[in-house]
Amino acid sequence: MNLVFRLAWRNLWRQPRRTWLTVGAIMFSNMLLVFMISLQFGMYGLMIDNTLQAFTGHLQIQAPGYIDDQKMRQTVDNVVPLATELRDYFDSDNIAARATAFALVSSEERSYGTAVIGTEPAFERNVSTLPGLVTQGRYLGEQDAAEIVIGAALARNLRVALGDELTLIGSGRDGSFAAAVVNIVGVFESGLVDFDRSITEIPLGFFQDVFYMDGSGHYIVINLPLIDDVPVVQEQVEALLPAGEDLVVHDWDALQPGLKQAIKADMSSAFFMYGILVILVAFSVLNTQLMSVLERTHEFGIVLSLGLTPGRLGRLVLLETAILGVLGLLFGALLGALFTYWFSVNGFSYPGMEEMTAKFNLPARFYPQVSVLSLLIGPAVVFIFTILAAVYPALRLRKLHPVEAMRAV
Amino acid sequence: MHMFVVLARLAWRNLWRNHRRTLIMLAAITLGVWAMIFMTALMRGMVSQMIADGISALPGHVQVHHPDYRDDPSIANLIPRSDTELSARFVDAGFVKWSSRVRVPAVITSEYESRGVTLLGIDPDSERDLTFVDYDAVEGRFLSASDDSGVVIGKKLAATLNTEIGKRVVLMSQDPDNDIADRGFRVIGLFEANVQSFEENYLFAGKATVQKMLRIGDQVSEFVVLGEDYRDVDAEFEKVLQLVDGNVEVKRWFELDPYLGTMLGVMDGFVLVWIVVIFLALSFGLVNTLVMAVFERVREIGLMLALGMKPINILGQIIIESLLLLAIGLALGSALAWATVQPIKDGIDVSIVSEGMDMWGMSSVLYPELLLSDVVLANVVVLVLGFLASLSPAWRASRYEPIEAITKV
Amino acid sequence: MSAVTCVDLCKTYRQGEVDIKALDHVSIEIDKGGFVCLSAPSGGGKTTLLNAIGGLDRPDSGEVIINGRRIDNLPKGELAELRLRQIGFVFQAFNLIPVLTARENIEFVMQVQGVPAAERRQRAVEILEEVGLAGLEDRRPADMSGGQQQRVAVARAIVSRPALVLADEPTANLDSKTADGLMELFRELNEHHNTTFVIATHDKRVMSYAKRLVRMLDGRIVDDINQDAA
Repeated sequence: MNLVFRLAWRNLWRQPRRTWLTVGAIMFSNMLLVFMISLQFGMYGLMIDNTLQAFTGHLQIQAPGYIDDQKMRQTVDNVVPLATELRDYFDSDNIAARATAFALVSSEERSYGTAVIGTEPAFERNVSTLPGLVTQGRYLGEQDAAEIVIGAALARNLRVALGDELTLIGSGRDGSFAAAVVNIVGVFESGLVDFDRSITEIPLGFFQDVFYMDGSGHYIVINLPLIDDVPVVQEQVEALLPAGEDLVVHDWDALQPGLKQAIKADMSSAFFMYGILVILVAFSVLNTQLMSVLERTHEFGIVLSLGLTPGRLGRLVLLETAILGVLGLLFGALLGALFTYWFSVNGFSYPGMEEMTAKFNLPARFYPQVSVLSLLIGPAVVFIFTILAAVYPALRLRKLHPVEAMRAV
Repeated sequence: MHMFVVLARLAWRNLWRNHRRTLIMLAAITLGVWAMIFMTALMRGMVSQMIADGISALPGHVQVHHPDYRDDPSIANLIPRSDTELSARFVDAGFVKWSSRVRVPAVITSEYESRGVTLLGIDPDSERDLTFVDYDAVEGRFLSASDDSGVVIGKKLAATLNTEIGKRVVLMSQDPDNDIADRGFRVIGLFEANVQSFEENYLFAGKATVQKMLRIGDQVSEFVVLGEDYRDVDAEFEKVLQLVDGNVEVKRWFELDPYLGTMLGVMDGFVLVWIVVIFLALSFGLVNTLVMAVFERVREIGLMLALGMKPINILGQIIIESLLLLAIGLALGSALAWATVQPIKDGIDVSIVSEGMDMWGMSSVLYPELLLSDVVLANVVVLVLGFLASLSPAWRASRYEPIEAITKV
Repeated sequence: MSAVTCVDLCKTYRQGEVDIKALDHVSIEIDKGGFVCLSAPSGGGKTTLLNAIGGLDRPDSGEVIINGRRIDNLPKGELAELRLRQIGFVFQAFNLIPVLTARENIEFVMQVQGVPAAERRQRAVEILEEVGLAGLEDRRPADMSGGQQQRVAVARAIVSRPALVLADEPTANLDSKTADGLMELFRELNEHHNTTFVIATHDKRVMSYAKRLVRMLDGRIVDDINQDAA
């Protein structure tokens, strides 16, 4: 072992309690950071995945302006052939066309205004979780069948059951009166009452007939296996769009602007908290290293008079701090990883979390995953601040005068 | 008592012996306490705003409905009483901020588009104190009376429907016999809300007009009462319970919206966790400082013991020293928190992430809320935990053998 | 009645691998108003004996009796009380609490005893005058010379009129002139107040002030001379 290193190491253990307490402070914050960041990243990932997979998808092809206004006339022409072409090109089934209208849905007893969505029954399953949530009956079958799938809450409110008929009344693409009678073939239950009450689905072909869509729809949803592929695929899709047709491709951030911002808002408050934690640790290190320098004034005086430069002493102090930092980093990251691992097996929850998380398409129990990033990012920042905190004590050494220093007790 | 004075004086002087160390520790405590209180004030503000927005959408602190209304908010579940008769009771009972409304799902259709909305039939006079709409800020005008024939819609909805002030829209809902009830309205005003979805989902029409359109005579969907403070609505709740009779359900806001309801409790928990985490981060430095202080003073402590001071007094002296340090830090930190909240009391604009805040159910202006109870909580927690953290070094100091301590170099 | 009686005291320390007999069957009796010097080379047992008499250290066996009261078996709390009220201490160094001024250092003991403030103050000023430090009441230890510090320590030791003052190498850090001054002060106080003094030292000059000189070696008393009579 290098002699300077050995010196630094032994110096640290002259005051084992102090060293442990300082390492403990670093360890504590590292552990907390590893756990919190793992939890946070995991939560954001889930939020994005769940929200996008529920309905929105990663990319959508729409007419310009549809994203803001969602008007009936803002259509994608020949939507099914286009979707088929894309499915062939990407050799993927995770692409499906949709159309949306608002209609008054009436049973014999009741009426409710809901969104009516036309979907491609064969592919909808791959771009939305809704078909999988059907608890009674089945999801839509034929493209042109007069069928409907509705939420459990709506079924209850309309006092209807599987097999009953509903009347849809709304306006078609041209603003004319549109009406149809459909058969309830499935009831879904998402767990969110408001969602169940406000969405109904019918086959796209039938939708096009009822609402006078003339072969058009409102958008094509594209789901990707990896969120990181979005920009690349977006470019490919843009290149594939039929020339002369006015269409745009939106990514999920544009489709769900709230999502990224919600994450940003949450992140900024979390980073404020982490920042405070890191600064407090830095103070702790500063205190320790300053004390350790001050109490060694006499000793440093002797070494200086022997001809050692203050710069070298300063480096010694920085090395001692670095050892503190590394110890705290190793133990903290290790404990943080263990802690996170325990929760990744047993799940993490707190009172009231169920009500809170349901709002963001999140489960009531998290299983945070340790990743290299979440394991290193917090401790790395703490390490940098630990070293920075030792700069002042190290610089003080430059002011040391050998004779005066030796006189100090 | 005299003993306390002796100890306090010693503690105070000892604190300033190593002023550098004390100042660093003090800076850390001040920063920590500031972060505790400042962050809590921001969070409190956020939650308050969220609840205020939530309540203004609900709206009201205490609500009266038909027992089935919450599961099935339709025309079929009106309060089975005369509105006039019940209203008279509310007036007699001395309620000031209360209102009765018709609240049903409806479909609004312009020349171009249809949308599902919530139709609120209100009395503009009694609604003024309850709603999220600022009457004076409405573009055009707000409803003038219960039998006003106009409708006031959100700006966002107007844009989607491609309509504007003066244009006609058709509202479609159902009457109690499930016949379509529709009526043309002229748009007389456009409102803005600080939660975007309100602008899309709610529209206001005169209560009498809506009652006539829906053919429901003198009936309404809900009675709502606003109390003084959303944290304590039990008095109003009891009073309302006395007023109403028959087949109705009386609920407080946190029962109506469990997300908001749990938010308060989760917040209380979060505040405590945050305070404790910050304290733990500080505690390493605090204990370290005390250990060092005791270590440096071993001989003095031995001397005092030799002179006949009791160990318990040594213990007391170290604890007083620690509490003094904490108390100064708490005072400075609390004052700093107060000082930093003052300039932003009128709100911080966080509209860059407005849609994200929307998703969390928050508005885009943040009003920090400095609660005395939170300041007290932070102070008490820090003092109590600080006392506990000081026990170990103080105990060790009091356990020294006088001759060993005194001869220690 | 004698001020201090020690009967057959034994005390063994372990230093590394070796047992050191600091007190080896020591018996001694010191009369009230005595002025006794314990002299021994380093490790001779004088500090151990002093600490045993002062209730700072417990002998392995034997009895210590102060003013007729056996103290070697008292609990810690009562020992502290005894030291507070009946015994004054002067140590070699680090006698004073650094954060307190000269007057406060003297008042400290009285304050712990619960003496009222006004009386405390008056007695502190008087005693400082008596030890020749009038005018230095508000100095902190760091601003005083070694001799002045020791005088403050003496003042503190005698301020509550203890029957017994124990001093361990009180002159070790002083030059000879200052040391003489301190010893004269001790003699004065001894004669004036009839306070019993037991001083451990290996300084020949200090011994010359003693009325009675007790020499120790390897934990045993080897010589006991009454110098007053001589």
